[in-house]
Amino acid sequence: MKSTRIVACSFAVLLLSATAAWAHHAFAAEFDLNQPVKLQGKVQKMEWINPHAWIHVDVVGSDGKLVTWMVEGGSPNILLRRGFTKESLLPGTEVTVEGYRAKNGELRANGSNITFKDGKRLFLGGSNPDDPENRGKK
Amino acid sequence: MKTSLRFIIFLAAILFALAPITMDGQTRGGAKPWTPPKTPWGDPDIQGLWPGQDMVGTPLERDRSLGTRAFLTDEEFSKRVAFAEEQQEIDTADLVSRNPRIARGGRFVTCEEDPNGCRNGVRIGPPNYWDERGKPTKQASLIMDPPDGRLPPLTPEAQKLQADRAAARKARPCATQPGGCHDSWEDESLWDRCITRGLVGSVLPNGYNTGNQIVQSPGYVVFRNEMIHEARVIPVDGRAHPNASIRTWMGSSRGHWEGSTLVVETTNFLPGIPVANTPTSDGLRVVERFTPVDPDTLTYQLTVEDPKTWTKPWTVSFPLKRSKDYAVYEYACHEGNYYMYNALSGARSEEKKK
Repeated sequence: MKSTRIVACSFAVLLLSATAAWAHHAFAAEFDLNQPVKLQGKVQKMEWINPHAWIHVDVVGSDGKLVTWMVEGGSPNILLRRGFTKESLLPGTEVTVEGYRAKNGELRANGSNITFKDGKRLFLGGSNPDDPENRGKK
Repeated sequence: MKTSLRFIIFLAAILFALAPITMDGQTRGGAKPWTPPKTPWGDPDIQGLWPGQDMVGTPLERDRSLGTRAFLTDEEFSKRVAFAEEQQEIDTADLVSRNPRIARGGRFVTCEEDPNGCRNGVRIGPPNYWDERGKPTKQASLIMDPPDGRLPPLTPEAQKLQADRAAARKARPCATQPGGCHDSWEDESLWDRCITRGLVGSVLPNGYNTGNQIVQSPGYVVFRNEMIHEARVIPVDGRAHPNASIRTWMGSSRGHWEGSTLVVETTNFLPGIPVANTPTSDGLRVVERFTPVDPDTLTYQLTVEDPKTWTKPWTVSFPLKRSKDYAVYEYACHEGNYYMYNALSGARSEEKKK
């Protein structure tokens, strides 16, 4: 356990030095590298707030109960510059999130990979296959 | 009389011709010096949007192998272009890669090469769309002086402070926690706390929010930065700085015009504001020069002097390009700063596990 900690700690230092450009957060302070998650569910809403947007995803757990996860996104300012709008990710859209759970054990995660049903990347694959308006658009 | 007038005009012409010689070493040789239009009250008009986003990919410090060479050769530049193209390809790929390429030290590595960067083929960290990348430039580093493009050595006093701080950090029980110490809000940076990046941090091109705007009115210039929505109201009417006991994170700025160049001196900083990842002293003084070189370019120069921290001053210089359509968005950083909650509550959870 101790060695794991040391590895994780030195990794965190590496992370801090190598990726100062990540918005401004120390990833390893917020998320647990030992708790990878894969969530499949439907978008409930997206909060366009600074410094980071948060996507709320309704997920049916293994016990059949519906729970809502919050998934951290980039700065709304970056999203807007990349051409995304409030309509780019509509409620009800099915997404898969692969990432890491918050260390505090709450239903929060970072979304290293967020994809649509067809495997395309959210924000970049661009087309929301559930939304006819966006079909075929980049 | 006629002769002395001619001599004065001759001298003025020489001074005028020398004015556009800038720190970036490009004399714009042969090009006619450019004089910006005047505001209705007679100051040079440098108002507009001047985002720094093109320079995001240019490192603060120069690679040691380049020595005193401030600009890349064509061959070196082509490598920088290739790197940017690969990054663009990764950033815009439609499908998630099961073995993502991650930028490390100027090249890309895979999960196999960097097992700490991934778990089960999933990159540890946010997706690529979080960052803006800038454009590849030939400028080797943002630092143009000292001539090696690197931060000068710390003073012995600052080295000791740095060592003491590191030792104090290491001695804390939380130091062995993954993610480091998060005992209180004071363990989070001023930036994490959405307070400020400070003068230098606000203007150096970073991963996002690189917008800058200049607005002028009689006696004042406002320099607004998108990051943490700083807006420095800079008097240019010759008034003195306030008393040295009045100190703020962004300091006190006073400007004046040298020809078409706006020169801004900032003092009265609160000690501790980090500059280039180093906490600075109460002796910090920053001098900025905004020189219009053509209708769409300002050469921005920033000199950091802190004799208690660095053994000599250092200067950053880079072009700011005018944008007609860049939008400086709101950045209400406190509004959704869940990071503070997540980091502090995450550390409390870690403690309970012990």
